[in-house]
Amino acid sequence: MAEAFLQISEPGASPTKRACQTRAIGIDLGTTNSLVAIVDGGRPVCLRDDRQQAILPSVVHYAADGTIVVGADAHDRLAAEFPRSTIASVKRFMGRGPGDAEATRKLTPYQFAPPAGDGGNVVRFDIGAGRAVTPMQVSAEILKVLKARAEAELGAPLDGAVITVPAYFDDGQRQATRDAGRLAGLEVLRLINEPTAAAIAYGLDKQAEGTFAVFDLGGGTFDISILKLEDGVFEVKATGGDSALGGDDFDRAIADALLAKWNLTEAAATDARLVRRVLDAARAIKEKLTVEAEAKVEIALPDGNRTAHLTRTEMELLIEPVLMRCTAPVRRALEDAAIDLARNPQTASESPAALSGVILVGGATRMPLVRQFVEKLFGRPPLGDIDPDEVVALGAAVQADVLAGGTGQGDMLLLDVVPLSLGLETMGGVVEKIIHRNTTVPCGATQTFTTFADRQTGFELKVVQGERELAEQCRSLAQFTLKGIPPMPAGMARLEVTFTVDADGILRVSAREETTGIETKIEVKPSYGLTDEEVERMLLDSFAHAEEDVQIRLLTEQQVEADRIAAAARTAMADSPDLLTPEDRTAIDLALTALATVRAGKDHHAIRAAIEALDGASKDFAARRMNEAFDRGLRGKDLAAVEAKADETAPKRDLASRAGGHSGHSH
Amino acid sequence: MICWSCEKEGGKGPFCAACRAILPPDAGPNAGTDRFAVLGLPRRFEVDLAAAEAAYKDLSRQLHPDRFTKADPRARKAALARTVELNDAWRTVKDPLRRAEYLLELAGYALAGGEKSAKMSKTREVSAPPTFLVEILELREELAAAQQAGDAVKLAFMSEDMRGRAAAAMKTIGTAIDGNTPESLDEAARALMSLRYYQRFLDEVQAHEARAAEGGGGG
Repeated sequence: MAEAFLQISEPGASPTKRACQTRAIGIDLGTTNSLVAIVDGGRPVCLRDDRQQAILPSVVHYAADGTIVVGADAHDRLAAEFPRSTIASVKRFMGRGPGDAEATRKLTPYQFAPPAGDGGNVVRFDIGAGRAVTPMQVSAEILKVLKARAEAELGAPLDGAVITVPAYFDDGQRQATRDAGRLAGLEVLRLINEPTAAAIAYGLDKQAEGTFAVFDLGGGTFDISILKLEDGVFEVKATGGDSALGGDDFDRAIADALLAKWNLTEAAATDARLVRRVLDAARAIKEKLTVEAEAKVEIALPDGNRTAHLTRTEMELLIEPVLMRCTAPVRRALEDAAIDLARNPQTASESPAALSGVILVGGATRMPLVRQFVEKLFGRPPLGDIDPDEVVALGAAVQADVLAGGTGQGDMLLLDVVPLSLGLETMGGVVEKIIHRNTTVPCGATQTFTTFADRQTGFELKVVQGERELAEQCRSLAQFTLKGIPPMPAGMARLEVTFTVDADGILRVSAREETTGIETKIEVKPSYGLTDEEVERMLLDSFAHAEEDVQIRLLTEQQVEADRIAAAARTAMADSPDLLTPEDRTAIDLALTALATVRAGKDHHAIRAAIEALDGASKDFAARRMNEAFDRGLRGKDLAAVEAKADETAPKRDLASRAGGHSGHSH
Repeated sequence: MICWSCEKEGGKGPFCAACRAILPPDAGPNAGTDRFAVLGLPRRFEVDLAAAEAAYKDLSRQLHPDRFTKADPRARKAALARTVELNDAWRTVKDPLRRAEYLLELAGYALAGGEKSAKMSKTREVSAPPTFLVEILELREELAAAQQAGDAVKLAFMSEDMRGRAAAAMKTIGTAIDGNTPESLDEAARALMSLRYYQRFLDEVQAHEARAAEGGGGG
């Protein structure tokens, strides 16, 4: 009887085996392995194939006859035989241009096809016989297999999918992942960050409350996130990482050492099969050494069989330098998560001791060396009662269920953050950050800018992403112009720029000139955002060059200020010659000359001093101008307008001393 | 506000008084809702942060766009705008320094480097006394010298002293803002200005420590 009901329950759909509230799925699209999960009876479960395997190796083989093989067969059998037409670790190529991807391609067996005519900037793998595929297409094949698995369990059509991405994926990489989902015929409800997904699954399963660090070292990416779990709200406090660091890099370090030992480094540059076999052997050694103290692996090579023999200690020496790259992102994330504590001096000592636990995610965290490293870094052993392979897919399924309207998780809510700061380039190429990294999304912020030159009628707006102080060192996202502002004296126009980031992480920028109401808007959706290497390089650089940047910034700011003050003084002198005594004129001219001299140099202290000297020299003159303005105001003019005018024309610090109530020269 | 859904007067809250549909925040010329009011808090420095955080999370649960994925596009837009407003309010309120800056801006102080509030009819400014600036300058020079010399004891002593000053300034700011007289507000603004100098000093200490850690422990 139940069967009869099931058959008529959903016309045109296959009968379901499960009684789920929604048909939403969560997918962990990993570098090495992928999984799919659903929420069944209020609990997330991973779906298995007919061999009872939840894990689908992320390997796609394109056979000569057009057949596509995904998963274990492609990985175990076909990769070694057809290295060029069997794509593994495709995630490392997502959202990349050919130039960006070339570095990643090294030590892989792949060849890139020449760019196609249309979507010219997309990497394409040459899979032989004149065929080429994009990383999106390869990923879509993996997604199709998982989708079919879910449809077999739930019945079609699905309500949609949540796909996980590394927290450190930029807009281009996220866009490529979304496109892969679309190519696979999935409605992508949301992309969520892998460490966040892991925290959701762990938090719900263990009813955990508190602040947790998620250390996620997968096949190709490293993420660190700090989350606060409380009353069903999962709030990301900080996130960081390195989207080009993972277990693959351990394999490469081991493979490099083996090739060097056998004098095959040069041969490997041109022999795809050799590379594939040595990489496979390296991975086998790594996996063996995770449980054993030494490992021997036979490898069939073109010039005969070889035996790779390594002890765990030997391997650890090879991979330790790679692992050390996790240190800086972890430190930074811990620091960022504590930012409001640090800014409140009374409680500055509370963190990072306030961590409730460290959650490990990703296959690479099974290695003893990685666990020791984490324990040392956080000063506590990581939590062990969790399957690092399944946890991300489980969390994605929970979020998918919530977004599709399921009520099994009660009031569960996810609050995620912007991974990299967003800002505008201002005078002198200096970046004004508008939305800082680790701000909770959705978010918005408005900054007011002003014209720099007299009669300036347009604003050029350059939107950038990154942590550095200078625009040229950040990633440029978009550029647009606001035109048609009527000519006004410098500093009179008021440009209000608003940044909005929605829950999907998409940035919109609008600009409005307040006095005229002229407006412009754009949606920033770069087809290629930052590459992994760029994100990494920009962050590392921002540390290496922090000092230098600050110096340049200080200098630029003082130069801009110097120009502003000098222009204001000249305008005032031209406007009110009658209020200017000969002594004032001499003093101001002298101060202006002195300022111009140091303005050309590199000493921001000297420029500051010269600005203040000019302030001092023009103080009396400015005071007279102000008085006159007030007198005029009392004669019936709108006082506010007069004050506003005085604000714009008189050097700023004179206003400050007026309000502060002291009138003597301070220099 | 007229509700987009039932077309009746819906009131000022996030949900229509008549039909409970989610409404966008007021975007009119007198907009710019008090960030304290968004969280249902009185406009003052002294805040019960635990209660405020509970209010933030409770409102997030009701207003977050994830709650409206399948709803009318107008409801989704309203949820987005409400949540942007809410996140902004919480970001301001939870951090003592941002909270103080915001309160002083509401009181009419133009604080360079602070967030700009949209329309200010008049601005009040305070300036740091020259003696203070000279003192800070000397302390910075002393710090630079100690960093150059690698004098760890001196550095620890100096940063401890500065943290003490910063804590004291923060305390002054809080009390003075809630005193809410023109004199006490001036005092708060001046203390805030000093705190920024202290903060910059501590940032420099931190930057130096980070550089030392990178150079020494990075291997």
